[in-house]
Amino acid sequence: MAIEIKNLTKFYQKHKVLDNLSLKIEEGSLFGLLGPNGAGKTTLVSIMNYLQSYDSGEINIFGYEYKKQKKEIQKISSYVPQTYAFYPNLTAYENLEFFGALYGLKNPQLKRRIEYCVEVTSLEKFLNKRAHTYSGGVKRRLNIAIGLLNDPKILYLDEPTVGIDPQSRKYILDVIKKINNEKKTTIIYTSHYMEEIEYLCDDIAILDNHKIILHEKKELLLEKNSFITIQTNTEKIQVDVKDDYNNFIETLTLLKNKNTPIENIFFNNKNLEELFLNLTKGNLRD
Amino acid sequence: MFQYILKKEFLLLSRDIHALLVLFIMPTLFIVIMSLALQNTYSNKVDIKLQVAINTILNQDIQYITQEINKDNYFQAKNTNSENIKKLIYEKEFDFVVNIVQNYKNQINTNQKDFTIEIYINPNISLQNQEIFKNVLTKVISKQIMKEYFIKNKINAKTLSHLEKTITIIPIYKEKEFQIKPTSVQYSVPSWLVFSMFFILIPISNAFINEKNFGTISRLKSMNIPFISIILGKMVPYFIINQIQVLFMILVGIYIVPLLNGDTLQINGNYGLIFIMSSAISFAAISFAIFIANISSTSEEATTIGGVSNILLAALGGIMVPKFVMPEFMQNITTFSPMNWGLEGLLEIFVMGGGLNDIKAYILYLIIFGIGFLALSYIILKKKENI
Repeated sequence: MAIEIKNLTKFYQKHKVLDNLSLKIEEGSLFGLLGPNGAGKTTLVSIMNYLQSYDSGEINIFGYEYKKQKKEIQKISSYVPQTYAFYPNLTAYENLEFFGALYGLKNPQLKRRIEYCVEVTSLEKFLNKRAHTYSGGVKRRLNIAIGLLNDPKILYLDEPTVGIDPQSRKYILDVIKKINNEKKTTIIYTSHYMEEIEYLCDDIAILDNHKIILHEKKELLLEKNSFITIQTNTEKIQVDVKDDYNNFIETLTLLKNKNTPIENIFFNNKNLEELFLNLTKGNLRD
Repeated sequence: MFQYILKKEFLLLSRDIHALLVLFIMPTLFIVIMSLALQNTYSNKVDIKLQVAINTILNQDIQYITQEINKDNYFQAKNTNSENIKKLIYEKEFDFVVNIVQNYKNQINTNQKDFTIEIYINPNISLQNQEIFKNVLTKVISKQIMKEYFIKNKINAKTLSHLEKTITIIPIYKEKEFQIKPTSVQYSVPSWLVFSMFFILIPISNAFINEKNFGTISRLKSMNIPFISIILGKMVPYFIINQIQVLFMILVGIYIVPLLNGDTLQINGNYGLIFIMSSAISFAAISFAIFIANISSTSEEATTIGGVSNILLAALGGIMVPKFVMPEFMQNITTFSPMNWGLEGLLEIFVMGGGLNDIKAYILYLIIFGIGFLALSYIILKKKENI
C-alpha cells in the first residue's frame, strides 16, 4: 500500500476541516482526488507533504510512519503545488539545478536527472531562457519537471493544468500517464476538471464535507452508476441499474401492463461530472 | 547545497535592476551630492560668500570696516550709496545692508545710549548666519576702536594682529594623530552607507514574498529543507551584498568624490573595525527586512512599509540631517534609531579614529535589535504554521 490514512481529523481553530477521514491508495496507482471548494483537498495534500499538522489519526506512507519517519517519507515524495513554485528570473536549467542540489543530488547524478526531467517534459528549447518568459503551459511543465528531480515514488500534483490551453493540458496529462506507466510512480492528482480525472486516473475518491464520500476504481465506479433510458411514444424514462437489473425489469413490466409502446432502449454510464454533482448535491460552495 | 543557494540569490539579485539601483546607485549619488553640498560646513573653503553692503549715505568714514569684513571667509563687503534699502536687497542682491551713523567711533567712545548700528537683512538668511555677521561686525568695530586707542597711547599695535594668529583649531583624535581636519565626505559616506545597507530590505522582502506567493516556500518545506537553512540562505548572500556595499561606498569616497572637486575620504580608524561594525549593521538590517517580509502579504506592501520605515529611521537617526544641527530633544530621539547606532559607530571609526571599546555599545544595540526582529519573525511564522 502506498498510502494508508486512518481516522484523520484536523481542526482550524474550532472548525473541523477533516473529519475522521480514512483512505487507502495502492502503490503505482494514479489516484484522483475530487471535491468541491472547501472540501478539504488542499488541507489533505498539505498534511501529506508536512505543510500542515493534524490533530488526530494515523498516516503511513510506503510503510513509513508519518510522525516518526518524516525524513524517509520526504525523500520518496515530491509535491508540485498549484502555483508556479520556481524562480521566474532564473532559467529552467538554473531552477532545475537549484532544486536538484537541494534534494541532495550532486554531479554527475544531478546533470543526469536534469537531462531526464527535461526530456520527459520536453523543455529542451527553453532550458536557457528565463522562466518568466514562458507560456502558461511551459511553466506548468517546468513545475512538474522540478517535482521529478528526486525520482519520487509518490508524486502529489495539485491542479497542475489550471489556466492552460487544451493542447498543453493534453500534453501534461500524457506526461503524467507516461511517468505513472514507466516508473510506476504513485500519483496523487487533485483537480476540478472531471474529464481530466476520468481520462487520467484509475482510482478516484470524492471528498465532500471534510469526509471521503466515495472511493472506487474508475471502471467499477462508472459501471455501478450506469443507467438505462427507455423511450416510449410519450416520454423518456431513466432507470438506475446499479448492481442488478431489477429496477429495469420492474419498469418494463409496468409499461407492458399499461400497454405503453416502447420505441427504444439506451444503455448509458453516468459520467464523472454527473456523478460528482449527484453525490455532492450540486450545491454551490464557498 | 549552500553554494547553490548562494548562486541562486546572486543570480536573482544581479537580474534585479531596481534592487541594484537602490543598493548601489542611490547611495553613490547621495554620497557625491551630500559630500559636495556639505563641503563648506566642514571646511574653511567658501565658494559663495554672503554679500554685504556698507551703506555710505550716512557715513563716509567706513572704509576700514569694509576692508576688515572682506578679510572674513564668509562675507564680501562693498561700499554702496543708496537710500533705498529694499532695492539693495532685492535688486542688487545684497544679503546684509549696514547703516552706520556719522562719527560712530566718537559715539561709541562716549557711550552714547541712543547710538545704534542697523543691519538690514534678506529674510532668507539663517539665524546662524545673522549671528555670525553680527559678531564679525562687532569684532571689526571693536578692533578699530582698540587700534585707535593703541595708537593714541603709543602701544605696539602688532599685538592686536598677532591675537588672531595665536588662536588655532586642533582636532583631537582618539587613537592616532592626524594633520587634516574632518571633511564632509567622512560624514556622508557612513551616513548614506548605513541608509543603503538598510535598503537591503527591498530585495529581501520581495524575494521572500515571491517565494511565499509562488509556493516556492511550500515546495522547499515539502523537500525537508530546514527553516534555518531557508533563513540563512537569505541572510548570508545579503550579508555579502552589504559588505560589497561597504567596499563600494568607501571607494566612491576615495576615488569618485575627489574627481568632482570634493574632499578625498580619509579613514582614521581600523579597517577591521569597519568590518565588525558593518557586520552588526548588516545583521540588524537583514533581520528587520525578514520581519517586514513576514508581516507583508505583497511586494507592494513590503516596499511601502519598508521604504517608509527606512526613511523615518534615517530622518530620526541623523542620516538626512546631521545630528549636530538638531535641537537637544531631537538629538535624544536619534538614540532610538538603529541607523543612528550604525552611523555613530562608523563615525567613531571614520572620523574619531576610535577603537573597539568606542563602538562596542553600538554593536551590542544592533545585535539585540537584530535578534529581537528575528525572534518576532519566528513567532509570526510559527503562528501561521509556516515552520
